[in-house]
Amino acid sequence: MVVIPGMLYTKEHEWVRIEGTSATIGITDHAQKMLGEVTFVELPAVEATFKRGDSLSVVESSKAASDVYAPVTGKVLEVNSDLESRPEMINQSCYQDGWICRMTVTDPASYKGLMDAKQYQQYLKEM
Amino acid sequence: MRKEFVFQPAGQEPRGSLLYQEHIKRTAACHMAPFAGYVMPLWFSSISEEHKAVRQAAGLFDCTHMGVLELRGPQALGFLQGVTTNDVNRLEVGLAQYSYVLDAAGRVLDDVIVYRRGPEAFLLVVNAANEPKIRAYFEGLLTERWTVDQDCPDRGLPYKPTIQDLRDPARGELGMVDIAIQGPKSLGILEDLVDSNTLFLAQLKPFRFVETSIQKIPCMISRTGYTGSVSGFELFVPPAKVSPLWNLLLEKGGPMGLVPCGLGSRDSLRIEAGLPLYGHELAGPFNVTPFEAGYDWAVKLDKDFFIGKAPMQRASHNSTMKVARLRLPGGKGIRPVRPNDAVLDTSGRCIGWVLSCAASGEDQIALAYVEKDRGSEGSPIGIYYLARNPGQIKQGRRQAVAKGDGLEPDLCGTVLRRFAKF
Repeated sequence: MVVIPGMLYTKEHEWVRIEGTSATIGITDHAQKMLGEVTFVELPAVEATFKRGDSLSVVESSKAASDVYAPVTGKVLEVNSDLESRPEMINQSCYQDGWICRMTVTDPASYKGLMDAKQYQQYLKEM
Repeated sequence: MRKEFVFQPAGQEPRGSLLYQEHIKRTAACHMAPFAGYVMPLWFSSISEEHKAVRQAAGLFDCTHMGVLELRGPQALGFLQGVTTNDVNRLEVGLAQYSYVLDAAGRVLDDVIVYRRGPEAFLLVVNAANEPKIRAYFEGLLTERWTVDQDCPDRGLPYKPTIQDLRDPARGELGMVDIAIQGPKSLGILEDLVDSNTLFLAQLKPFRFVETSIQKIPCMISRTGYTGSVSGFELFVPPAKVSPLWNLLLEKGGPMGLVPCGLGSRDSLRIEAGLPLYGHELAGPFNVTPFEAGYDWAVKLDKDFFIGKAPMQRASHNSTMKVARLRLPGGKGIRPVRPNDAVLDTSGRCIGWVLSCAASGEDQIALAYVEKDRGSEGSPIGIYYLARNPGQIKQGRRQAVAKGDGLEPDLCGTVLRRFAKF
């Protein structure tokens, strides 16, 4: 299972890359492997606000519909609309081309408690 | 005092299938999942690749979780004639027959295949999820515990065959577990490997079987399957021999395009072909009857007696619903249709619900429970997606739809022929 250093992770298998007040969000290698071939991604609306833990997006494969939860509290700045026609990018490049959205973090305290790469790797091992 | 059949399933930890050690060499542990009490592979490469391999070349399926019961003795025929809906008298040695096991109330306990191996020797292949229930049912019938006729509570079934679980390792060389090889290349792959004259395999008609061997492994080869493939076989072999046979088939069949297949493609292939799965297109939350599922020919109402006959007679003309096969747009960027999504007519009125759905190339094929007079072949239909999460509920998407409700369709498709062959 690929885990990238320098990013933060949730127990629900989302990743976040924090740059200043901007947070880029996607699902982890473990999550995409569990889902299998992704055929549909429901993207959040730009400008929509979410609290940490709110359902942000839905990623669907023939096996399951899986909620993506907001890993931070904030407002959606930009979504990866390429996923509408190429949802398979979540399988092919979950940490790069398969990013889901970028948010402005309005409550920096909301990402306290997220795991770093080492902790997430340990979490995967203990699952 | 006889009573209505009831079954309390024992909550058991799922165990690896007999081929578990082979599977974990070929797929990641996270692609294995519990199913009907066994840990089974969901996929090896991907559902769509395995699906395609079965349509274009061949696929190998672990069916060792399926129940294989032997019924033997002078009373085996009478017993089966009483507990199954099809006519076992018409079943000659070497033939197999699709059938149902019902309780006295007419509830479908399972759909099964009966194989006749000799005048007094039969095999019954039952669904993995239903096997403990069927065994408990049969044991209770042998000890006169269950009602067999609601109109005649004292009636019993006066036939006592010996019933044995052929998957029990104690049966040794006489034991049997099931694996399936399905798809256009499966005949060629088997012909290269069977020990005897191969002519019989090419001439084996659907629902017929032969007892032979593959590289000295005793093997019952039956032209049956669950994929809709015209060329497809099930192989019944002693439990201790299933791993070597699995590996041999993959080794020799690999160059001809044979791939191992998981539960995911097993499901998508049977949906594409229109075949029912117990709990979805048969029985289940909608209590789908064999008549509604499209299998009236497997319920012989002209037989003198079978358990559940009177309620089946009523069900044969009371229903207003049926199972239909639908084609819908699919492929990338289209939200997959899921069970319980609503099926709409052209005016947007709900006429039924989706039971199962799977990808089929650029389409989705759904099996749905719809009003009988609205689901004829070629009819245009719509689909309304139920809410998948709290966010969609907040936006006003519904969590359930009742028949007659008016809605805007999210997807438009058509009704297909009930079954398809490949």
